[in-house]
Amino acid sequence: MPRPGSVLVVEDDPDLVDLMAVILQDAGYRVATATDGLEALARIEAEMPSLILLDMRMPRMNGWEFAGEFRTRWDRSCPIVVVTAAENARLRAEEIGADGWLEKPFELEDVVRMVERHVGPA
Amino acid sequence: MTRRGNCRYTNGVKPFRIAAIYALVAGAWILFSDRLLAALVPQGAMHVLLETAKGWAFVLVTAGLLHLLIRRSAEGMRRLDAEVRATLDSIADAILVVDAEGRVANANRAALDLLGVSNKSEILVPLPDFAARFHMRRADGSPLPPDGFATLRALRGETIRGYEAVYRRTDGRDVFVAVSAAPVRVRPGGPVRLAVAVLRDVSEERRFDELRDEFLSTAAHEFKTPLAVIKAYAQLLRKRSDGEAPALLVINRQVDRLSRLVQQLLEVSRFRLGGPEMRRERYDLAEQVAQALERTRDRAEGHRLLLVERAPAPVYADRERIGQVLGNLIDNAVKFSPGGGDIQAAVRRLEREVEISIRDAGVGIPREKQGRVFERYYRAHAGTHEDYGGMGVGLDMSREIVARHGGRMWFESEPGVGSTFSFTLPLDHEGDDAQAG
Repeated sequence: MPRPGSVLVVEDDPDLVDLMAVILQDAGYRVATATDGLEALARIEAEMPSLILLDMRMPRMNGWEFAGEFRTRWDRSCPIVVVTAAENARLRAEEIGADGWLEKPFELEDVVRMVERHVGPA
Repeated sequence: MTRRGNCRYTNGVKPFRIAAIYALVAGAWILFSDRLLAALVPQGAMHVLLETAKGWAFVLVTAGLLHLLIRRSAEGMRRLDAEVRATLDSIADAILVVDAEGRVANANRAALDLLGVSNKSEILVPLPDFAARFHMRRADGSPLPPDGFATLRALRGETIRGYEAVYRRTDGRDVFVAVSAAPVRVRPGGPVRLAVAVLRDVSEERRFDELRDEFLSTAAHEFKTPLAVIKAYAQLLRKRSDGEAPALLVINRQVDRLSRLVQQLLEVSRFRLGGPEMRRERYDLAEQVAQALERTRDRAEGHRLLLVERAPAPVYADRERIGQVLGNLIDNAVKFSPGGGDIQAAVRRLEREVEISIRDAGVGIPREKQGRVFERYYRAHAGTHEDYGGMGVGLDMSREIVARHGGRMWFESEPGVGSTFSFTLPLDHEGDDAQAG
């Protein structure tokens, strides 16, 4: 069972990773981070998060590849929310069968609300 | 060249002068040669013989002269023909000549190169065969109705400019061409004998446009992550330190503005690149106009936004795209009437279409710039006191969205008085029935 409240942020921009961590930690969540899909898979091996916030365009292993690999290995053991700058975030989310999407640039409250919806209040 | 310019091809000899000189010389000969002969040679067998010889000689000289004249004239024609041919072949743009029967009658070298054929006879065929052979389509790939061919329209007397089409070369490559076509009349006001079409290869320009749009799309996309970080940190800081709030509020507002610009850029480039298909639905356009006005109201404090005329207007359209058009027109109306005043929107129902107009009492568009208002990236007020910002992409895109729905967009503007931008969309009569039922 995943420990409640842990959120895995998969994002290649270090500033955005830090930002997400700050926002979520402020809201009371525990945060793990990875800068690409491969690193994210390693993090999940160690500990299954209760939510994954996933960027799509990343080096080494991008969001699409990561989502495919994740589903093969762990099926739907935890929800994925796509965080993307793509003009059609919803389509991206549908493409990989994600559970939600956040379009960049977002409001602070949007991030917290989205996490709350999938993980519950911290 | 003057009217007599073609004398170059008859070596400077004019037909009337030739005939006059001939009449004069021959007349004098007939008059005086008989008398001269009678004076020199006494009547008799010798006289008759000489008379006959004189006649023969006259015919011989005349025939010789005729031969000379005809040969020179024919040579002139041949030279004219060769020069016209060489001129046509030296023109860099492709030229097609279509005869009154709708058959391709002539083509220049560039036309053969453009279409990738080696032999002219391959393209001297009736237009429908020509169109089928080269897979002629509109620039957006849609089929061309047979009576829509530019040359056929030209045969009916129309002059067509800047029409874009796609041809498939014999090697399978598609070429984009800008076509202009005109009727050819031998006499001014006479019947149309031929139509001539000039085809300019614009494939390179199109490819460049596409590259630029892709670049803009990528650039706009790349802006979003830094924007997200700046915006979120500004919000975070505001939450934590109330003392700095005013400055952070400004940062936030400007980031929002930048986001809107980036979004607009993305929308334009996505739209230009073909983007997702239109998602049409049936809805009431009048309601959408009212909503669009409502949305702008809090951003336009000095203005009164009024819906002065309203009629039920069922349309079958892409709600999001038409929303962009309305947003653009209303934003422009607000932006270009800095002194405030009324912005009047009207939804008028015509027989088969609905007409929307947005009128402002603003600065108007200088007359000399009115012709370019719909040009992409053109900003009529750039660098003037009335430069209120913007990227010059809204109207171009709006007009194209409306055109893709089968409507038209236009404007009337009086400098210092204001502008009215209008567009039409086809009415959806099925939607009407649904409302009635």
